[in-house]
Amino acid sequence: MSNAYIDQFPAEAKVIRAAFYSSFFALALGGVFGIIQTLHRTGYYRFIDSADYYTVLTAHGVFLVISFTIFFLVGIFTWAITTSLDRGVEDLRFTWGWYGLMAVGITLTGVAILAGFTDATDISASVLFTFYAPLQAHPLFYLGLVLFVVGTWFAGVDWFRSWWAWKAENPDERIPLPAFMVLTTMLMWYIATLGVAAAILLFLLPWSLGLIESVNPLLTRTLFWFFGHPVVYFWLMPAYMMWYVLLPKISGGKLFSDPLARVVFVLFLILSVPTGIHHQYLDPGIAEGFKFIAMTNTMFLLLPSLLTAFTVVASMEHGARQRGGEGYLGWLKALPWRDPVFAGMALAGLMFAAAGFSGMINAGMNINYLVHNTFWVVGHFHLTVGTAVALTFMAVTYWFLPQVTGKQLWSRSVALGQVVLWFVGMTFMSNAMHRGGLLGIPRRTAEPQYDGFEFEAAVGSVAELDAQIALGGVLLTLSLVLFFANVVGTALNGRSDDLPDNSYAGTLSGPEDAPQILDNLKLWTAIAVVLVIFAYTFPLLSIIDRGGLFGPELVELPLSTLDLESISALALAVEQSTIATLETTADTATAVIAGVIP
Amino acid sequence: MSHATDESTQIQDPDQPTDSDQVREIGHDEFDPVGALALIGLYFLILVFLWFFMYFVEFLGNDPTVVSGIVSVVTGGVGLA
Repeated sequence: MSNAYIDQFPAEAKVIRAAFYSSFFALALGGVFGIIQTLHRTGYYRFIDSADYYTVLTAHGVFLVISFTIFFLVGIFTWAITTSLDRGVEDLRFTWGWYGLMAVGITLTGVAILAGFTDATDISASVLFTFYAPLQAHPLFYLGLVLFVVGTWFAGVDWFRSWWAWKAENPDERIPLPAFMVLTTMLMWYIATLGVAAAILLFLLPWSLGLIESVNPLLTRTLFWFFGHPVVYFWLMPAYMMWYVLLPKISGGKLFSDPLARVVFVLFLILSVPTGIHHQYLDPGIAEGFKFIAMTNTMFLLLPSLLTAFTVVASMEHGARQRGGEGYLGWLKALPWRDPVFAGMALAGLMFAAAGFSGMINAGMNINYLVHNTFWVVGHFHLTVGTAVALTFMAVTYWFLPQVTGKQLWSRSVALGQVVLWFVGMTFMSNAMHRGGLLGIPRRTAEPQYDGFEFEAAVGSVAELDAQIALGGVLLTLSLVLFFANVVGTALNGRSDDLPDNSYAGTLSGPEDAPQILDNLKLWTAIAVVLVIFAYTFPLLSIIDRGGLFGPELVELPLSTLDLESISALALAVEQSTIATLETTADTATAVIAGVIP
Repeated sequence: MSHATDESTQIQDPDQPTDSDQVREIGHDEFDPVGALALIGLYFLILVFLWFFMYFVEFLGNDPTVVSGIVSVVTGGVGLA
């Protein structure tokens, strides 16, 4: 008999298993749509209609960045709370309740998206992950998202209940680090999801149901990004948690500093939300000054990221030196590179360092103009959520699966091959995406090939970039196949009594070195709310003032033939009046210049 | 629940650092993370290099945008006359 998680918390292990399997199911679906669109875009193999490309793209986005990541998160967070507080959940029915709500929600959303492939129903939701109005989805899509998010809110309540109960029994103790990370992340999530809840419940869902005529697209977009930037930290925080509490242990050492880890999570709580407008640098209707404030807040976010880089690397180094590593860089050789859990997380961290640079380019207002809406951005987030997060999740799965199933991992060699293959595949794909973006190749486009126009590459060619992207996509798909082979193989294994203990890394500098104020969650939440009010009140008021709460008259997409005729008539009228104005202006200018110049 | 700390478990335990892996214990005061400093320093130098390189990739090869764009509109206007 071992002392694995399933031995300590058998009932909770079941919930975590369900969350993980839901997450992997979404990963499988998302992966299939990923390879379809990779081959379609690059022109290597097109078997779907290009109009369906956007349904594929929506499915790829929503299944991966909503269901894969967040189901995995709730699994990890439940593990973190129960393990670090050393107590089971307060009420198991409640725990299954929020899991069920999330599962029902994402199923409704998924059905609405997938129904877009068939003409048998008029249900569709090909609105991409960002669901910008005037793109309109079937009400099921929005309703499902609402249920899913409400499910995560209840999950947060569950974890807070555990903490309150624990605090009542341990009034003088510091919050254990993994629990602290869960609580701060959830506080950030509560603030962030207010934006998307407002966008959906007040505007998009009533609009989709036909209760209101129109919406203000800039308002719903801004509310989306109020949630849309912090959601990237919601994906990232479980990965960060793994780098802080699991990676040092796997490296053979201890976490360098518990206080620094707390500072990082507090900074993310404070700074994640008031930055969303940096996704809207090119949106007309938001004043440059507001965008500048968002940029400043964004640049401050480099601080917790760089703190993390230092702390995590120092913790790995501690492990390496305890394993006999020497020298300035020689210690790297002493790390357990043949362990898939370590190798996957370390390679994910390396990719995240590269993403740090492309993120700085995105964050700068002026430089952003050059890469906005290009393939560069796609390259960037395939390094962040697509590798730093996804590869970390897959790597820690090899540690978690035995913990929550009580079964030995099917194959460690296959696991090692899988994480390395992901790293190599993403290197090809993401690098080529970044370079393609610099040439101006657009994102969200089924066929970025145009008659009579060629993207000019200073180095290489577009054909070469396409080849790299397709090759990368194929390698990533192979990597996924290996991953699922391991998950299924492990599930089919028999129960083992010989599993590692359920534990996480110790610390070199523990919570006793952290100022007490770091655990004052009320204070940090208050500061976060104030910053959000500063960053968003005036932009939102100004957007409503200009465009109205429910927007001006809005044409729904897709357009009918009638609409198209009236629009082309309108366009013709605008064109003629513009030409007339230009001619008058030119005449006036000529007259003035003729008068001025003798 | 029994313990996973007996010898046989430790040797087969793939995820835990085993005694044979760990050759010494380094405490808080003895640990000087010079390796982390070296790696992060290297990363910083790469960032600085890329930042300068960015000018050549993103600006030099492209037409003027934003600020210089106004200049071209003005000169374009004179050209029209």
